[in-house]
Amino acid sequence: MKKILFSFSLLLLFNLVKAQDLVKKIPANAFTVATIKGDNIFKLMFVKDFNESFVGKKLLEGTSKSLDKNFTTIEDFGINLDKNMYYFNQLTDSITYNCFLIPLKDATKFESLINNKDNKIKTTGDTKTMVLPDSTSIIKWNNNMMYFVTGSIKSSFFADSAKSAQYGIKDIRFQNDEATLADSAAVAVDSAYVTTTDEPMVEAVPAPPVKVKAKQKTATKKTAKKATGKKKPAKKKAAVKPKQEVEEEVIADAAMDVAEAVPAAERANADYDLYQQERAEQEAKQKRLAFTWMAAQAEQIFNGNYESIESNKSYTSSLDSKAIAELWVSSLQDVYNAVAPEFGTYGKSGLMKGYGSLNAKLFMDNKSFRISTGLELAQEQADSYKKIMNKKLNKNFLKYVNSEKAIGFMSYAIDTKAYLEELPKLMKQTYGSFLGARMDAEMDLGADLLSLLLDEEAVSKVIKGDALFVINGLNSKEVTYTTYDYDDDYKQKEVIKTKNETLPDFLFMFSSDDTRLINKLIKYGVNKNFVSAEGNIYKIIEKKSPIDIYFLIKDGIVFFGNSLTEIQAINSNQVKSQISKTHKNLLSKNNFSFLFNAKNLVGKVPASEIGGEETAKKFNSTLEKMGNVYMKSNPIKGNLVSADISAEIPNGHENALKYLFSLIENAAK
Amino acid sequence: MRLNQCYKLLFFIALLPFLSSCFEVIEEISMKNDGTGDVVLTINLSQSKTKVASVMLLDSVQGYKVPSKQKIQQELNEAVAYLKKSEGITNVKSNTDFNNFIATISFSFKDVSNINNITKNILAKQKIKATNTSLYSYNKTSKTFNRQYQAIGTAKTEFNKLKPKDKAVFNGATYTSIYRFESLVTSSTNPASNVSKSKKAVMLRSNISDLINGKINVSNSIQLAK
Repeated sequence: MKKILFSFSLLLLFNLVKAQDLVKKIPANAFTVATIKGDNIFKLMFVKDFNESFVGKKLLEGTSKSLDKNFTTIEDFGINLDKNMYYFNQLTDSITYNCFLIPLKDATKFESLINNKDNKIKTTGDTKTMVLPDSTSIIKWNNNMMYFVTGSIKSSFFADSAKSAQYGIKDIRFQNDEATLADSAAVAVDSAYVTTTDEPMVEAVPAPPVKVKAKQKTATKKTAKKATGKKKPAKKKAAVKPKQEVEEEVIADAAMDVAEAVPAAERANADYDLYQQERAEQEAKQKRLAFTWMAAQAEQIFNGNYESIESNKSYTSSLDSKAIAELWVSSLQDVYNAVAPEFGTYGKSGLMKGYGSLNAKLFMDNKSFRISTGLELAQEQADSYKKIMNKKLNKNFLKYVNSEKAIGFMSYAIDTKAYLEELPKLMKQTYGSFLGARMDAEMDLGADLLSLLLDEEAVSKVIKGDALFVINGLNSKEVTYTTYDYDDDYKQKEVIKTKNETLPDFLFMFSSDDTRLINKLIKYGVNKNFVSAEGNIYKIIEKKSPIDIYFLIKDGIVFFGNSLTEIQAINSNQVKSQISKTHKNLLSKNNFSFLFNAKNLVGKVPASEIGGEETAKKFNSTLEKMGNVYMKSNPIKGNLVSADISAEIPNGHENALKYLFSLIENAAK
Repeated sequence: MRLNQCYKLLFFIALLPFLSSCFEVIEEISMKNDGTGDVVLTINLSQSKTKVASVMLLDSVQGYKVPSKQKIQQELNEAVAYLKKSEGITNVKSNTDFNNFIATISFSFKDVSNINNITKNILAKQKIKATNTSLYSYNKTSKTFNRQYQAIGTAKTEFNKLKPKDKAVFNGATYTSIYRFESLVTSSTNPASNVSKSKKAVMLRSNISDLINGKINVSNSIQLAK
């Protein structure tokens, strides 16, 4: 009991520590979240080792040089290396924010990275802000974290005159009515100035009259609120809108006051130069607006109260404490629906139906690199896939894999019957709405027609849905070629010579319970001289193919291969199972699997066939450095389809990260 | 290595970069005493036929587009058509064997200098820079046959820019030139060349990579008995 209590409190403690993580600063509506897990990385490689590594040295040297300082360790950058660093982005109909959240250990050290900081940094309480040149990005930090945001305005949004007018911005076209152009411009100038002057104070803008300044401040705050309000695009859109408009009016009012100051002369003559100038101005206004929104967004991150991404189940369930980096992309369907209205008639909601969030995780340990990816599906979709994937590879396939020699294999197993039955449904879900509701009847009809034409049951007997392709090593084969001999008079004589060629021995097999159709095909082939027969073994007579292909039907398995010996051995039951346990598991437990075993290829190809000793040496040394590469699909868990790719590291390396660093170092040499 | 550059264009520029391979380029010129003669150009990829056939099944390999049989045949036909129109060139024939991957072009010339600009022009049409220049000449009175060969420096640089994997393609490739005469050969200036037992032919063999690199020069001056 004590133990349980203890572990429970540990868990609590762990959660508390977690709570300090910057993830709580990521808004719930972030579209993409990428994480680099400092603690997991520096478990694989001590900071000291990193500093002494090739990459570390380059980084430190580079930074020292560019800042004219002397950095000896990455800890000098002031970043808290034991915590997670985040990247996230937020999409709205009008602006996209790209943001980085970096944990800080020592803010003073971090500040030392900034040259001439006194001119650039603005301090408010314990928060410091720096605007990057050109006002396209903002860096804000306190003692615990650094936040970097850069925003880009969506031009499509401002192409909508009604929307852009809300912000005093006009989509200028050369043919525009003069008066409107000038008018809206006047308004726009002001609102934009109002919203920006507050920020660039650091840029030493001449101080405007006090009265105006006061107005600016209120306006800025409101736009700030508005901008953050905008971050909840999809669901609460309708609710947010009216509020925005009210705020807009406030801004417009403030703007109008100053608008009177604009000389009337400027309203004349919309010639091309003016148009150009106007356009540039409008663009500048958009940029300033983007800046205002960014500033507000950054402010919100530091001082606002909002729901964090931790409340998103899809996000939290995608996490794995062992991963060293993670990527999560919010539901494709939701995002599509949120953005779709902006596409006008093209934006039909409902497309991407059934596709949820996407995630990828990177793992490194003492044996391998592994990338694990997952995609969430809607219940209906997941059910379809579950039915399709409810199939295991034919166990009899396994004895034809020779693990000692195999260079690679690939297998898949699906339930053909379920696939044919579920396919129309899946197509309808994914593309149905694209064709419009009126097409529903046609889609249904198509699905029924398919079922009528195909006897799913019968098809699934001919092709059961599982197959294995394996390369069981290389074989040397004698081939003939034409060349020339020359007599005493150097007269050319065509001669046929032979040479040895190394070719991979491949074997492909699939299960079939009903081979009648295949037998008929063979009979037809024999009659038409496409196929020659030798007992049970058939050979395809097709000149196009550079290699001979044999096939055989035995015990419900159809075999294709280019090695007659191998096919003969199968025919006479002489194949002994030589599969390793790992390979057996990989093949029999997954619907899809892939293996490339580079080691079995080392030194197997004669140098003369790769283009000389030197090339062969390089080829072999590259292969030696490669461990096994695997790919596999995992069984569907809940609504999540997932797959893993992993690459083993060669012996003699402590872990995958260190191995990666050594590879980079070698490549740079 | 003049006219056969058009083969390089047709076959290996596009095809060979991914075959680490053996192939032969053969140039035969039969000179008559009156200055007329015949040319037979052969490119033989037979030794690499499995690889070529495999590559032909693909769209592209190592970033190079693989031409289809039709495309190769078409370009060869274009080269033939061009030759037919060229001054002093007659009796143009071509033959392709896609089972063994051997192609030949043969034609007759009025004067050996007729072939001087042909390759360059065909290559220029395909927007390929020639890797060398060769000038052939035959002096009826002095009975001397000359080939002035000059590797173009940029060809070497370009070649060295290729990835080792692509360069390797040229490792096993050979170039053979054979010149045949009606009169006996009394001297052949290129030390790498051999005079046949009958003294009526001169042969020079080299690796294609040595040619491109400029390691070997195939210039030659052949003196015939008067």
